[in-house]
Amino acid sequence: MKKILLVHLLLFSCIWVSGQGLRLSGKITDGYRHDLSGVRISIHPVAAVVFTDTTGHFAFTGLPKGEYVLKAEQEGYRSQSRTIKLLADQQVELVLQEMHYQLKEVYVSNNHIKERKQSESMNIEVVNQDFIQRNLGGSLMSTLSRIPGIKTIGIGSGQSKPLIRGLGFNRVVVVDKGVKHEGQQWGADHGLELDQFAAGEVELIKGAASFLYGSDAIGGIINVKPAAVPRPHSIAGSVDLIGKINNNLFGTSVNLLGRSTHWFADGRFTYQNYGDYRVPADYVQVYNYQVNLFKNHIRNTAGNETGLHLNTGFVGERFRSLFYLSNLYSKSGFFANAHGLEPRNVPAEIYDASSRDVLKPSQQVNHFKLINRSAYRFGRHQLEMELGYQRNFRQEFSQYVNHGYMPPVYPDTMRIPVDLEREFNKQVYDLNLRDEIKLGKHRLTIGFNGAHQDNAINGWTFLVPAFKQTTAGAFAYDKFQLNERVLFHGAIRYDYGQIRMFKYTDWFESQIVEDRDTTSQKLVRADNLNRRFNSLVWSAGLNYNAGKFNLKANLGKSFRMPIAKELSANGVNYHYFSYERGDPSLAPEQSYQADLGLGWTEEKWSVQVSPFYNYFPNYIYLNPTAQHDYYYGAGNQVFQYAQSRVVRYGGEIQLKYHILKSLSAEFLGEYVYAKQLSGDKKGYTLPFSPPASALLNLTWSPELSEKLQNTYISVDYRLTAAQNNIVPPEKVSPGYSVINIQAGTKVSLGSQSLMISLQAQNVLNTRYLNHTSFYRLIELPEAGRNLILSLKVPFAIKKANN
Amino acid sequence: MKKQLTGLCLILMVGISACKKDNQEAIDTEYPVINVTGTTAFPKQCSTVKRGEKFLFQAQLSDNSQLGSVSVDIHHNFDHHTHSTEVESCAMDAIKTPVKPFLFIQSYSIPAESKSYEVKQEITVPSDIDAGDYHFMIRLTDKEGWQTIKGLSIKIAS
Repeated sequence: MKKILLVHLLLFSCIWVSGQGLRLSGKITDGYRHDLSGVRISIHPVAAVVFTDTTGHFAFTGLPKGEYVLKAEQEGYRSQSRTIKLLADQQVELVLQEMHYQLKEVYVSNNHIKERKQSESMNIEVVNQDFIQRNLGGSLMSTLSRIPGIKTIGIGSGQSKPLIRGLGFNRVVVVDKGVKHEGQQWGADHGLELDQFAAGEVELIKGAASFLYGSDAIGGIINVKPAAVPRPHSIAGSVDLIGKINNNLFGTSVNLLGRSTHWFADGRFTYQNYGDYRVPADYVQVYNYQVNLFKNHIRNTAGNETGLHLNTGFVGERFRSLFYLSNLYSKSGFFANAHGLEPRNVPAEIYDASSRDVLKPSQQVNHFKLINRSAYRFGRHQLEMELGYQRNFRQEFSQYVNHGYMPPVYPDTMRIPVDLEREFNKQVYDLNLRDEIKLGKHRLTIGFNGAHQDNAINGWTFLVPAFKQTTAGAFAYDKFQLNERVLFHGAIRYDYGQIRMFKYTDWFESQIVEDRDTTSQKLVRADNLNRRFNSLVWSAGLNYNAGKFNLKANLGKSFRMPIAKELSANGVNYHYFSYERGDPSLAPEQSYQADLGLGWTEEKWSVQVSPFYNYFPNYIYLNPTAQHDYYYGAGNQVFQYAQSRVVRYGGEIQLKYHILKSLSAEFLGEYVYAKQLSGDKKGYTLPFSPPASALLNLTWSPELSEKLQNTYISVDYRLTAAQNNIVPPEKVSPGYSVINIQAGTKVSLGSQSLMISLQAQNVLNTRYLNHTSFYRLIELPEAGRNLILSLKVPFAIKKANN
Repeated sequence: MKKQLTGLCLILMVGISACKKDNQEAIDTEYPVINVTGTTAFPKQCSTVKRGEKFLFQAQLSDNSQLGSVSVDIHHNFDHHTHSTEVESCAMDAIKTPVKPFLFIQSYSIPAESKSYEVKQEITVPSDIDAGDYHFMIRLTDKEGWQTIKGLSIKIAS
């Protein structure tokens, strides 16, 4: 660094001394006529560099006559180059367009997304904070479910997990700030521990992408990127306020950020509190039990969540190192009548007294994260590193209910609290290393990912044993730009993984009948187990972009290591009244997938079709058998993990049409078909297969006045087909149609602006069943009419141009 | 270039058409049925059994294709935690703390390939257990893994 500075100093002093050359000066502004300071200006072939001052000005002096290329670069903006024939002193003005910047009307240049899509051979969708604000759902994942091919498995009003083209749980990788998010992905009864207010941009890859992230990325990747770093020499922030009618939610998110030239800090606090949600039904059928609902409330589904974020670091010219610290805490209740060994009766006078309290059964989740992302650029190389530590601590609380041979009254000698049904304590250490090398027409990335997990358990019931897991993988990925139109992709990756599971013995004695002798003993539910896996995966693809036409194709192999639950589960699932049993001999799941994307873009309309075909030689699934378990499962039906051949295919279609300048229409369609080709459930589909659906949208975005900008009124009409393709223990879900309305505007009052967005979800209060909802099996309809109002007030304490 | 594109499209089309050819053999989506309305069926909703005596569990089971297995689980309902699957409700004793409640879990096999089966099993109620409200759960599966649950409220009298 010092050397470079010295060289520059020398260079400048030489120029200064010569003093006879020409002067090239200028000014840099953004698209809003703001001066930009700290912009890096380089000039070729002189190879000199200067930075703009606080008024956006810069100057090169002592230049001989000739042709120069001036380049302006700034973090968060698209770089600009201009060729200048310098014959006399000259002044230039350059405008830098923001890539995305949160304090403005969260603007993501379409080109940036378009370029990203055109240089990726897999099907990719990118959404920004604007999209999140407009479609704000109960959680980040439910917000994203408007995108074709993306669905969620939701529980309650604030928790959900992603489902990409029908694959979910451990088959979808969620990457947060460059590091794989690790919670309890295998469970359907809780959501992803992510704060949607803190998300900057979300990139979704539909399709197998194991070569980048290793095991688990079989269904796709959801890459949640943090907000862009603040502008140099600025102090700013924003306040978000949100309210929802259906579950009486209120929440806020406060953000404060600032940056000197190179150092920045960005803090955020989010709090949300909600009551029981309401459905258009007076009673529900929990299996065969009828449960009456009090004032349409789903009993005990209230909750609250708190998010704390602190991002800080150094942003230099060639080197940057960012730290992300976050802690997310949530507490929420489970539907009280559908938890335990069987549908339960609860005292209405206690449970219906308040719609805001969280009684048992309930869960508490705390997710702590510390991530460092560093990058260093030199020569042809871009070196990147992510170092992460995560702790996911989840507790499930429930009244003690003895089952099997547990004592009828909880012994007071037990050290485990009487209401602690389950506890999972996961600690994860991650290390990612990458080097992106530009070699002529090639862009080669080589990388390494390593992770270590330590999982402890507690509670009076048992499902999955404690385990430790270590994985390591190395990959090489090359993008080869053949010519302007054709881009080839090729990747190869090797992974090694080890999982060690620890023995679990019951705390109570069960009666064993052997040869007519009855003995009492503490049963071993899971034994020590040590498994090693390795896998070689690959991917090949191409992009063809010719004006209005674009094509992408990808073929790849992905894999997934069996998870602890699939190998060693041995307990009751209290939500499904089933007894789940693992298989320690499961092989790593493999998947072959072909993806195609075809698009045509005209000025007034565009169409995009993205079909896929996927084959699993050994898909791991939970098979409901005809057996009942006598000991551990308290007479519940045995669900046994097994593997079978599976074929899946389907796709999405997107049509956009600009009827008028301010009026546009959109059609989004999606379809997935899955079938098991072998095993016990041959001929059946896979669980949680989303039904075909279509979304018709009409958006009016009028330009009203200077004071009201970015105004929109948008109507979504979602049509969902019936899902008749089911597998035990699912039920056929009838088709339905739901109307959602979004509206919003940005009000400018002097220098202050205010963004208002209003949503009306399920406008007609339609009673419908979502096939992929966690509570579908107990016939619980989805939330009724809901109004969501959110306000965003950005503020600037010190503007970048002051 | 064009050749490659055509090739890829072909692969995809062949793939998709290959799946379409799969013969759509009908899959079973019907639940098995537990019938406790017959004259010989026992216990029924609100039935009473006696401590220290045996009773005969009898019910008519059926399925459209093939039955799997049946399980019986008798556990106390002293805390009124459950309600039955039946419309009729029974008179309940006051809530009480269990001392030595009766616990019975048993699964019974059904002869293979039966569409219909009458389960007849003798169950012994020990004489030293707590009397009171109990829950008699019948869980029936078919071979495909569909399950039907029937929960009956019964009383164990001293």
